[in-house]
Amino acid sequence: MPFTDLDTTSVARFLSQIADHQGDLADAFFERRETSEVPPADEAAGIRIWREEGFAIRLIREGGTWLASRDQIEPPLFAEALRQVARVMPAAPYSPPTLRISPFADSDVSPELVHFPRRVTRAIRRRLAGFPLRLQVRRHRRWVRVVGTQLAPDQETEEFYSYEAEMPWGRHGALLAELDDQAVERVASSLTLLFRAHNAPAVQTGSRPVVLGPSACAVLLHEAVAHALETDTLVLGGRIEAAIGVQIGSDLLHVLDNPAGAPGGVRRDTDDEGVRVVRRWLLRSGVVEQLLADLFAAHHSADLMAGAGRRSHRHLPPVPRSSHLELLAGESSFEELLTDVSDGLFFPEAARGALDPLSGEFCLRLPGGRRIQDGVLAAGVGPCSLRGRVSDLLSGVTGVGNERELTGAGWCAKGGIKLPVWATAPALRLAAVEVVG
Amino acid sequence: MTNEERVGEIFGSLKAAGLAAGEVYLKNGRSRRFEVGSQGRVGGYSQEQGWAIRAGSSRASLFVAGTGLPSAGLGWPAPDGQSLSLPAAVPIPPWQPPTDLDSSLVAESEAIALLEGIERALVGELAGSRLVRGLLEEGSSETSIYNTLGVKVDYRSRAASLFVDAVGPWKGSASVSLALAERVHRRLKPVVVAKRLANRLLLSRKGMTPDRERGEILVGAAVSARVLASLQPLLLGGAGEQWAARLRDRHGRIGSKHLTVVDDGRLEGGVLEAPVDGEGLPTGRVCLIEEGRFRQSLTDWRKSRGQIQSATGWMRRESWRDLPRVAPSHLFIEPDTGVTVGDLLSSIARGFYLLEPLGVGRFDFEQDRFQLPVCGFALRQGAATAPLSRAWLEGSIGAFLHRVQAVARDLTFQPLGAMIGAPTLLVSGFGLRGED
Repeated sequence: MPFTDLDTTSVARFLSQIADHQGDLADAFFERRETSEVPPADEAAGIRIWREEGFAIRLIREGGTWLASRDQIEPPLFAEALRQVARVMPAAPYSPPTLRISPFADSDVSPELVHFPRRVTRAIRRRLAGFPLRLQVRRHRRWVRVVGTQLAPDQETEEFYSYEAEMPWGRHGALLAELDDQAVERVASSLTLLFRAHNAPAVQTGSRPVVLGPSACAVLLHEAVAHALETDTLVLGGRIEAAIGVQIGSDLLHVLDNPAGAPGGVRRDTDDEGVRVVRRWLLRSGVVEQLLADLFAAHHSADLMAGAGRRSHRHLPPVPRSSHLELLAGESSFEELLTDVSDGLFFPEAARGALDPLSGEFCLRLPGGRRIQDGVLAAGVGPCSLRGRVSDLLSGVTGVGNERELTGAGWCAKGGIKLPVWATAPALRLAAVEVVG
Repeated sequence: MTNEERVGEIFGSLKAAGLAAGEVYLKNGRSRRFEVGSQGRVGGYSQEQGWAIRAGSSRASLFVAGTGLPSAGLGWPAPDGQSLSLPAAVPIPPWQPPTDLDSSLVAESEAIALLEGIERALVGELAGSRLVRGLLEEGSSETSIYNTLGVKVDYRSRAASLFVDAVGPWKGSASVSLALAERVHRRLKPVVVAKRLANRLLLSRKGMTPDRERGEILVGAAVSARVLASLQPLLLGGAGEQWAARLRDRHGRIGSKHLTVVDDGRLEGGVLEAPVDGEGLPTGRVCLIEEGRFRQSLTDWRKSRGQIQSATGWMRRESWRDLPRVAPSHLFIEPDTGVTVGDLLSSIARGFYLLEPLGVGRFDFEQDRFQLPVCGFALRQGAATAPLSRAWLEGSIGAFLHRVQAVARDLTFQPLGAMIGAPTLLVSGFGLRGED
């Protein structure tokens, strides 16, 4: 635990020198990261480890933010960064705080990481499939401590995994909470689906009912609900708070962001701005109840609640983002979701999604799926996209599954800021939706 | 302790761990970042210092990277996987560092003036439009590379990047964005940026969607650069020769004689101009397609019998976090200095002028097909007659390359992974269709 012995009182005292105007907000963000990678078997540098640490000091004043960051945690650098953020010398500077942090532990790559690619290959063979595959798997660990002028919450830690597969017909990647047997089977199923979809017939463009599996539903929720309700998205369209109380989806949709309910390795008590997280109801019966806000937005509006601030790393400012979305389970079994569909499509996975925040146009890229004919899953179909306006898509939800799964919604890259996002979601049925082959 | 002493100790420690081949990469940088947008005004000052070590024996290898400075007492993880090949030192041709390397990084007042200047010019072009995001970043760095086979090089670099996102004045306007890069922020011109944004906004609003049409097509520099960026499967890696074989005509050409494609890591004034690549091999000019004939692709020298086949390096390394990989630096279509865009425009009796790409498109070498969303104008007798939008430039990749009739002199680079440059191209008898 690198930041356990950090003298937060002296850091807070040091920060208070620059937060000297009414309404100023100053904080220090300390970060350590370690990433271990097992690359594809044919690549040199057979084991890869990245270990980095640093800090950032931030000052929010009158609608502006100033940030200074460094790649080492040392008192002179801290004092220098503070002067940069203040843009003037404090009148009576304190001496820099002692920044005592524990050294990196010797890092080796765990056997479960090394053996994961082989286990996935075996699981694919058990599915009677075989194809050229280059698999890279990573373990991500991160320790964060935020110190403000008044609050210094405990250190937060994150640990999770990701993989990226390269196949002759494209790349595919996802997040994993664990590298257990279930993860092996899930990755093997995804890659086998991509393999089979590659040669499957294309979908004919048109409007039809669609059932999304939990994993595809997670990506939909992230793109269509979370991004749509982030304050930095809403501000582009005008007054942020105007979104509260608006019905944007079917009354079957109850969606919340619950970082404290995330899987063990990425569960958070506070966000990357040191604010305690809450179970944040985004949609209740399809109506917007709360928005995803960071300190900057909440600082300027009494209707917003901070606690959803996330930082991809110390060199970039925080942004409002979801961490772990939950869609409450409905009443339908998977079979019941299919029952009334005479001619539709089922997609277990989504590759990625995109939302134009101003026009509300939405696109979900699907790597492949299966036809639904007379309520039963039938032949496979190739890659395609779902397109439409967010409000039409969410209003068209006609069924929610009764079994939820924890899934990585993927790496979010909105605004060039890369963050891992998670979801616990059931399957979902959409009425008529435009599918483009 | 000097870098050389530090590196000597690290190589000693690696050797003691049975890792005879070693490479140390050190990078120091500083950058300034200014953003206007949904989070108000954000100003940032970063200082980065990082390192990376690759090491290996004849049977296995490892990569370790971190912030600060490396030390011999790190404790190396157990190596695994493949052995590691490093390049031996080769003489580096003289290189004169650009004089602008020493100019100061953008100040807050300059950054705000640039971003406000873009917004002002944008409103001048299209009243009521607005900049929803503007991000200016400028940085400089020093890099050192050492390896156990005698490579020992230092070099400096700098770059400025701009990203802007704008919307039109009408309700429901989708946003349009633009990314640009220069070595120094002063070369970014607000009026030029604003005009490009306004063109795209106006065309997306007023542009007609064509039916399926063929004709003379003037492919603007931004669209040509996007096409070139998508040709990288042909120009990068071992499969290049295989794709080239499919595109060759009976004269042995994969494109028209007007088409010459070059990669140049030392391009004067280029954003990525450097004397060496990410492994310390000298950079230089490499001709990939010469007057329509395929000459070579950029490939990892390890895959050509494990020996360096050329004295020119093209293993790029974007930061200390990245491993070196085969990549272009300044990849461009050679312009024809004697031809202006006006000359090409006036030569078109009936056709289209494609100004901007509207997405990355789809390029399928297997099927020899591509589709690229574009906007621009319909042309009659060299004059614009109607705006054009939601159009797709579509057809065979090979046919496109073969039908280039002329190349203008307006070479322009876009940051598309590497710096990808192209002038305006005149392509005859090619297809354009409206959106589905």
